[in-house]
Amino acid sequence: MVSQTLIDIWNSLRQANIWIRIALAFILLLVLISLSFWQKTKLESKLIWSFLRGTIQIVLFGSILSLIFGIRKLWMLYLILFLMCLFAAFTNARSYPYPRLFLIGFIAITSSSIVIMTLVMFSYIFPGFEGIIPLDPDTLELTGEYVIPIGSMVISFAMRVSGIAIERVKSDIIKSKGNIEAALALGDSPYRAIQNILRESYRAGLTPTINRVASLGIVTIPGLMAGMIIGGVPPVEAAIYQIVIFLMLLSASFITSIITNILFTKQFFTKKQQFDIEFLNKIAKLDNQTTGALLKERWKKWREKIKRKKKSVETTD
Amino acid sequence: MNTTKESFSNLFSLEDVYFDIEGKVILSKINVAIDNTGITGIIGPSGSGKSTFLRLLNKLISPTQGIVKFKDSDIAEMKSQELRKEIGMVLQRPFLFKGTVKSNLLYGPKIWNIDYIDPELVNLLDTVSLEADFLERDIEGLSGGEQQRVSLARSLANQPIVLLLDEPTTALDIVSEEIIENTLKQLASEGIKIIIVTHSLEQTKRLTEQLLFLKEGLLIEKTTTKDFFKQYNDQEIRSFFKNKEGK
Repeated sequence: MVSQTLIDIWNSLRQANIWIRIALAFILLLVLISLSFWQKTKLESKLIWSFLRGTIQIVLFGSILSLIFGIRKLWMLYLILFLMCLFAAFTNARSYPYPRLFLIGFIAITSSSIVIMTLVMFSYIFPGFEGIIPLDPDTLELTGEYVIPIGSMVISFAMRVSGIAIERVKSDIIKSKGNIEAALALGDSPYRAIQNILRESYRAGLTPTINRVASLGIVTIPGLMAGMIIGGVPPVEAAIYQIVIFLMLLSASFITSIITNILFTKQFFTKKQQFDIEFLNKIAKLDNQTTGALLKERWKKWREKIKRKKKSVETTD
Repeated sequence: MNTTKESFSNLFSLEDVYFDIEGKVILSKINVAIDNTGITGIIGPSGSGKSTFLRLLNKLISPTQGIVKFKDSDIAEMKSQELRKEIGMVLQRPFLFKGTVKSNLLYGPKIWNIDYIDPELVNLLDTVSLEADFLERDIEGLSGGEQQRVSLARSLANQPIVLLLDEPTTALDIVSEEIIENTLKQLASEGIKIIIVTHSLEQTKRLTEQLLFLKEGLLIEKTTTKDFFKQYNDQEIRSFFKNKEGK
């Protein structure tokens, strides 16, 4: 199967049309770089690197897509979803470098996405219902063709919304430290003291998607629905399908945000219902640093650690 | 504001208390007892650990080392929320919650299932010299002084037996300051123990009967206010208030 994929890539690259398209894309990239030079945005190297990386990734992904779409084994479908959750948690932890965010994100994204996907995948067990995700018409099995793209939508939405929620909750806790302390001083529990903050973070995370649903068919024409109609599915069926997808996305995002927020905000308080001042200071310090500065600092620390190790080895020798 | 008389030797006692954060020593070797009567002031230059001292008393923070006792019991063994119901606190800024004055006053009672009817809330407002019509007002429209008085009334709504105040009048005008001071005197006469952090020597003279003087995290003096001002002249007191940076 892998060798067939490589042959497919090779055959595609032998076609003249591909190279003409690449050349045209290169001209557009040159235009972009010129604009960047003109406006002094200093984005030139980032543009070249992103497009180069993106092109290679998408070519490889496109090529293995046919392999993934052909998967019919349930454990393999779950394994791929699981790996996608792992990568989503990693991406979130890189974007929001707060303590334990990888683990928290992984627990939240995996549990919510897997639960929603399981419900959807096995919805066909209802008598007389063919299921939300269509089964292979010949073998009546779930296939990667539908499970993986829908799973990727659910997981990426959950990742994005929980990221927005966590960023909001973190900055609101720092901003409202005085009010939270006032509530604690009145005898309130930390969880209740930050209820309003949690509520606002869910709103911030979910509102854009809710607005998107409200503007469906007028401002937004979803790609999935458009693709289905082009593929010959009746418009009403495609529309209902799209609505179900949006509900899945919102449910997974909401559940992920709740789990992430509960686990993340727990770190702000001690068991004695006090602010954990050290954690709060740590987060506030991180807040003032850009991701770039943070990565530089981590790199510096890592190099120092290696140097120290080397020295200690030399001394022992 | 009824407080029941219970038998205990000291309201608060701190035994060998240390507090440090991220390697910085804020309080060290504090040994002191605070009795159940009147108004106690905590004074000292900026950064001397006054606010930290106050937060130790209602367990908003815990000592790194040592014991803090409330009514002869170690507060480490007590439930934080129940302790904070008995020990009210007013912070330097009012930190009111979004909504009306009424919703702010009822915040604590809702936690503790204390029932309040409007006339009782009006009485509470009267304690801090605010009119009845303030009850339904949104907190956004209140002046700084009015907000701080609502914050004081909000703490009193929990019916505490001790009230801790962290420089409550720092950002207020003279009139609001006077109203709050009169309220505190009234509350103390009704049996509520008041412990106030202040940087104003004049306020210390006007309000407190005893004081604790902190400097660079150490308890320098525990005495009656009268004796403190008798013992030291103005120049000496001013020099006490200079911290390491000479501020």
